[in-house]
Amino acid sequence: MSTEESIKDIVVKIVHCDKSVLTPESTFKELNADSLDIVQILVALEDNFGIEIPEEDAQKFTSFGDVVAYVDSKLAEKK
Amino acid sequence: MEIPRVVVTGLGAVTPIGLNVDELWAGLISGKSGIRPISHFDTTNFPIKIAAEIASGFDPTKYMDPKMVDRTMRAVQLAMPALQEALKSAHLDMSKERKEKVGVVTSTMVESGYLAKGPELLAKLGPRRADPLFITKSGPSTLAMQIGMITGANGPNTYVDSLCASGADALGAALNFMRLGYADVMIVSGSDASLEPVTIAGMNIIGALTREPDPQKACRPFDLNRSGFVYGEASGIIILETLKHAQKRGATIFAELAGAGWSFDAYDMTAPYADTEVIAMRIAIANAGLKPEDIDYINAHGTSTKLNDASETKAIKMLMGEEKAHKTPISSNKSMLGHSITAAGVIESIATILTINKGIIPPTINYETPDPECDLDYVPNQARKAVVNNCLKNSFGLGGENCCLVFKRFVER
Repeated sequence: MSTEESIKDIVVKIVHCDKSVLTPESTFKELNADSLDIVQILVALEDNFGIEIPEEDAQKFTSFGDVVAYVDSKLAEKK
Repeated sequence: MEIPRVVVTGLGAVTPIGLNVDELWAGLISGKSGIRPISHFDTTNFPIKIAAEIASGFDPTKYMDPKMVDRTMRAVQLAMPALQEALKSAHLDMSKERKEKVGVVTSTMVESGYLAKGPELLAKLGPRRADPLFITKSGPSTLAMQIGMITGANGPNTYVDSLCASGADALGAALNFMRLGYADVMIVSGSDASLEPVTIAGMNIIGALTREPDPQKACRPFDLNRSGFVYGEASGIIILETLKHAQKRGATIFAELAGAGWSFDAYDMTAPYADTEVIAMRIAIANAGLKPEDIDYINAHGTSTKLNDASETKAIKMLMGEEKAHKTPISSNKSMLGHSITAAGVIESIATILTINKGIIPPTINYETPDPECDLDYVPNQARKAVVNNCLKNSFGLGGENCCLVFKRFVER
């Protein structure tokens, strides 16, 4: 499964939105994701990908695409 | 400032014998037992194998957003259908209310199984990786918070905890908020889903629970052969309003919550004490502007433990004198519903309110052998028709917290 697909599954599970509405441009606001959702998503990403997401990085995310790009870059660093 | 009268305008319930108020009432007057073998967890190594569970198949997503299901404990989820039912029965339209004058008081138990996962996770993964829901999901304040979120009630929002007296205590606290002018409407919820292995084991070790294996016979309040209470789960909602507010919007009035009284035993951590139980009863009756001789029905705490039922009987005699005590019908809903700890006071208050409304006293089931220490009229096994105007509702907490309420038939004056 691609990184994007895995992240989609995480977001869908926590936010309870339809997978088809998730595009790189989707913002957390559009997805009705509140602060608790976002924290849950970050924790799930850390667990799932074995990465650490510092709070100052997380604060920069606004769209779903930002998150995918960030996780991709973190995974590349790991390699 | 004139102290406002407070009336009951809405009821909702989810219980082991009925998933709404009508089903609950039909069960209570037909003597239906909600006690069954425990299905929530494996009881193989447990000395306790029965409880009064809400029938399996309860689906919280029917009543709440799936995200909120993730974020709430079962006790909060069980309260949702009861809340919907109560708001409907009260015909309360929140868009027409002054929201800061609508408050919430609740009573519930935390879920030990979920709480225990917090330290486990911390030990395994360290402080940076806690459960993000831990704070908002685990606390006893979450029930009041969720009810406030859903209804948009901006008034007082809090909970009380006095163990088995909590439900009655929540109603008493709400009564005081209204009498002091803080609210026109109070939503009171007692919701308990603490029927979990660790609580059952804890109650068992202190000898509070019956080990009788036959679910149909296990709970026998006031009977000579009673041997402990049966753990239960339930959720109840009562909507209280000031009389003025209820009349202004033309609400149906089920009864008046006329008084509340409290006391604390300061005697023993688990054993009851009649001398202080009677204080709460006396205060509640005086607070309702009545005298003990005016009480025509008592909805008992009636747990089916050796100590409670004897002590409660003694306290009732101290309250009324032997003669009046013998003439006053007393019954225990726990004979059918088990003991839903922090929900019991609300559920049994619903039964008390309906007793006034319907003119029928629910029985104490499984009553077979009289106990010389419990020699009053416990309405054994069969419901009874009776005109009931003034009811005393007793609730006694396991630590010695006593809260009694007085419900009256509503009459204009």
